[in-house]
Amino acid sequence: MDTIAADHARMGRPIPTQDPVQAQKDIKAFGLCIVPYVLAADKLARVRDALYRAADEDRARGWEQKFRFDYAHDDTNQRVWNLLSRDPVFADLVEHALALDLVKSVIGWPALLGNISANITGPGGGEMVLHADQIFVPEPWPANPQGVNVAWCIDDFTDENGATRFVPGSHLRNRSPAADEAATASIPLEAPAGSFIVMESRVWHKTGRNRTKHRRRAGIFAWYTRPIYRQQENWFLSLNPATRQFASDTMLVLLGYRTEGLGLVNGKSPA
Amino acid sequence: MELEAKKRQLLEDGWCVVPEILTRPEANRVRERLWQAADESERRGISTRQIGLDPNEHNVRVFNLLELDAIFRELIRHPLAIDLVTALLGPDFLISNFTANIALPGSQSMKLHSDQGIVVPEPWFHPWSINVIWCLDDIDTENGATRYIPGSHKIRWKSELPENAIGKAVPFEAQAGSIVVMDGRIWHTSGANVSKSRERALLFGYYSRSFIRPQQNWNACLSEETVASFSSQMGAWLGLDARANVKLAEPLRSRDAIP
Repeated sequence: MDTIAADHARMGRPIPTQDPVQAQKDIKAFGLCIVPYVLAADKLARVRDALYRAADEDRARGWEQKFRFDYAHDDTNQRVWNLLSRDPVFADLVEHALALDLVKSVIGWPALLGNISANITGPGGGEMVLHADQIFVPEPWPANPQGVNVAWCIDDFTDENGATRFVPGSHLRNRSPAADEAATASIPLEAPAGSFIVMESRVWHKTGRNRTKHRRRAGIFAWYTRPIYRQQENWFLSLNPATRQFASDTMLVLLGYRTEGLGLVNGKSPA
Repeated sequence: MELEAKKRQLLEDGWCVVPEILTRPEANRVRERLWQAADESERRGISTRQIGLDPNEHNVRVFNLLELDAIFRELIRHPLAIDLVTALLGPDFLISNFTANIALPGSQSMKLHSDQGIVVPEPWFHPWSINVIWCLDDIDTENGATRYIPGSHKIRWKSELPENAIGKAVPFEAQAGSIVVMDGRIWHTSGANVSKSRERALLFGYYSRSFIRPQQNWNACLSEETVASFSSQMGAWLGLDARANVKLAEPLRSRDAIP
């Protein structure tokens, strides 16, 4: 291990890498990997514009919906749900080849897309209850992670603007944090805009507090699970029909339209 | 309190049989409607034979019962069934499927399995699903009654499955009009119907915890007409609405008060 990697390991977080093999190793060792500079500048700008347009529209129209893990008194943090129905560019994130390869390395295939939503921290807000994403699975948990989150950094993630924070080594405990562990020491996941972080579902984490005066910080979270779990978003109720109509085969699997065993129609896959 | 005793048996033994929920004439009526539903399914192009679940063509499988006849929409939410489901899974469950399996003479056994174990990874510490089996015929060894391994709902890891497990399986026996209720962790198989001329019609009401994906995609397979006939409670039990699998996060909300 070189000096920089050793420094990172001491801090409990992996060194950013674009090497898929190293990224998989990082997920095993740290529960997560950081893949820097994935989106080119023009693509990032396209995604960012689409996201902030949807967020501003929601806020102007009073469409915002709080998330149960957030603090009720936090009025600056904003969630944007069902991004797939807001702009086709978000499907590109869901199906990004490297992200999907890493998802498959954690939970196998077929997998389901539970949700893709944004979490935008605002000045003075953003802090969240410490949790592991597979909280809905009763304990004791199976030996392997049941889901995986791909967090796309749409703005730079910094300690100051509310980067996601995680507890090093927590994925190895294979359980949710107890009530008296909510304040366990955590460290920020800093990464430049256009990067993504892949975090397996047992990592204890939370949104960081945005301590800036004026800056919002957007992250897009694509949440994938093994195919036995119910999706957070009911795509069959809420998805823009055009997204379904033009969906790739991979997307049909992820949305649950092309399925085996569960989610059938008359004993057969709906698509 | 007969029902309370049945609930206790379900929790302790992993199964119970509740007799005489339907009278014999009622059970006959449901069986008639089931055969009509099978015909209607075929008419709609949805095959009921050799659909890949059974060893041969002597089983008739009818899917999507809820769409095919109001009588099934009544049975799936029968108060007694819901009561037993709630006793095992708690109130936070979904209706996963409602299908029929009519075993005709000559039908063979499936493979030994637990409904929960073939879907969710071990360990299996808690019941995450339950089968409520409506008997439309008397069931016994001869006509292919479901065979189960007593105590197998306590198997938490696959390695705990006994050697020669199949040899330890015994048949349920029940009269037409009964329900056989089975914890999702009970290891079982369908029996072979070795009778000369007896049919064995069963309806399988399958319910699972709400974080598990239902077997049937109700949003995609129910007509608008059928959906319109449901109470909001039925809509919720079928997962038709926007309730999602974050309910277990609710205790965290008490921390909202922390400044």
